[in-house]
Amino acid sequence: MTQTQKITIGPFNPELEESVYFKLEADENRVVTHVEIINGFIHRGMESLVTKKNFMQNLILTERVCSLCSNNHPFTYALAVEKIAGIKVPLRAEALRVIADEVKRVASDLFNLSMLTHLAHHHELMRDTMNTREHMQDLKEIIWGNRMDMSANQLTGTKYDLDEKKIELIIDTLDRVEPKLRDLQERYENDEIFREKTVGVGVLPYEDAIEIGVTGPVARGSGINNDVRVMAPYSLYAYRKELQPKVTLREEGDVHARAMARFGDILEAVRIIRDVVADMPEGDTYVEKRPHIPAGEAVVRTEAPRGELIYYLKTDGSQKPVRMRWKVPTFTNWEALKVMILGDKVDNVTMILNSIDPCISCTER
Amino acid sequence: MKLEEFNNAVKSKISCGYEFKEDKDSYSNPSAWIILKDKRDSEVVAKAIKAYKGRCVVATAYKNDGEDVHTVIYHFDIAGTIINMQLQTDDATIHAITHILPSANWAEREIREMYGVEPIGHPNKDRLFLDYSIAKGVLNEYISLSKMQLGVSDTDVLWNNVNKEAN
Repeated sequence: MTQTQKITIGPFNPELEESVYFKLEADENRVVTHVEIINGFIHRGMESLVTKKNFMQNLILTERVCSLCSNNHPFTYALAVEKIAGIKVPLRAEALRVIADEVKRVASDLFNLSMLTHLAHHHELMRDTMNTREHMQDLKEIIWGNRMDMSANQLTGTKYDLDEKKIELIIDTLDRVEPKLRDLQERYENDEIFREKTVGVGVLPYEDAIEIGVTGPVARGSGINNDVRVMAPYSLYAYRKELQPKVTLREEGDVHARAMARFGDILEAVRIIRDVVADMPEGDTYVEKRPHIPAGEAVVRTEAPRGELIYYLKTDGSQKPVRMRWKVPTFTNWEALKVMILGDKVDNVTMILNSIDPCISCTER
Repeated sequence: MKLEEFNNAVKSKISCGYEFKEDKDSYSNPSAWIILKDKRDSEVVAKAIKAYKGRCVVATAYKNDGEDVHTVIYHFDIAGTIINMQLQTDDATIHAITHILPSANWAEREIREMYGVEPIGHPNKDRLFLDYSIAKGVLNEYISLSKMQLGVSDTDVLWNNVNKEAN
């Protein structure tokens, strides 16, 4: 006789980085037969809040939607405002924006990978991944003054600039980090313990990935390239085609493939930062501090560490947005979890959840 | 994909007319707006997006100022090109497109939850983010404390009352 077990995970659990509630049903072999995911524990009504704040205040508020991809929110928001205002950002500011974004990408992706190795109980690999990430955290602290929120962007440009000494520091840091990253990449690819826990686990087939509309490393792990930096290049990626990343595509669609796609992103980010600092454009870092924002509408996108980030902004000529809407990669990647989890072992659920690098604060806003 | 080609693909199928506008972002990436005259034509556009192997990125809704009308904008992507489909509803319903484009699933559920606009035919009736104790369409009804406080000083109510007392 088949015996069904009902299992709940969350909303608060040591294996979950943020609050979410899983209701699972499993058969006698601990294979998941039914998945229900309940959200809403971190909903803060931010889309309503931004319509009560002026354009300058929203630059600060959007940086606080989430911590790991905090730079992408004000960056994309600024692109939307600049589109409506018809402002062309100086080339130096575009370069500075890309540097900040790619530094953040390396730190964010390494954090996800270290959490993945933690859940795989491979603590040596986790320690080495976290130690490598610390170099990027230190770099952020020295240049931007903070280990998470960099405050790099402002409307019409950037708040920060780089002198020769700081550029030297970036290159030194990358020189130290890159060999460690290549070593880690090799270990993630071939380590037996890690492979045993991740290969063939939480598979998202190509067809499902297309239908659900996943983006970022989750899409790339299932063989789909919809990286915004390549498909609709913005900022310096639009002006210098050679900066666009050579994305890592994997066909397997499992937890391991997603981890390796993320590693591809990390190494490309290092290459992009090197290329940008080697040829920094001269000039201003912003156009004007308080631009006039006329009535208008804009839809803009960037590639956050987890995938496509889209902002819709509608203005009426006043100091506040009429409507502002944003969608983060996890918003669509979340539905893919059901495909990944169904038919897999209960023991793998938190690992599969982690493999989409979920950002629940971003998703629920 | 050329935007003109997509426009030609939907032209003969949209029954009640529409406006087609081409746009570009600050980096010359093309995009388009399809502004429907009748919300029932949304399914036609969704089918065309599917035929071009596109996806629904997200959808935005808002209540028009001073009217009992909602504007809904679907943001689609076809191979890196954004196509925005805008429609209006005066009876708080839209025709769901999730059965055509599953990528629209959460976007339509959120519109129902935040604005009380029902996507007819949507396969999932469950709440997405808000607790069941909070009414549907909460963004239509509630105003924040800061707005309320500002609202008092924005109007002349307090000033007039003080003046009346003084006189």
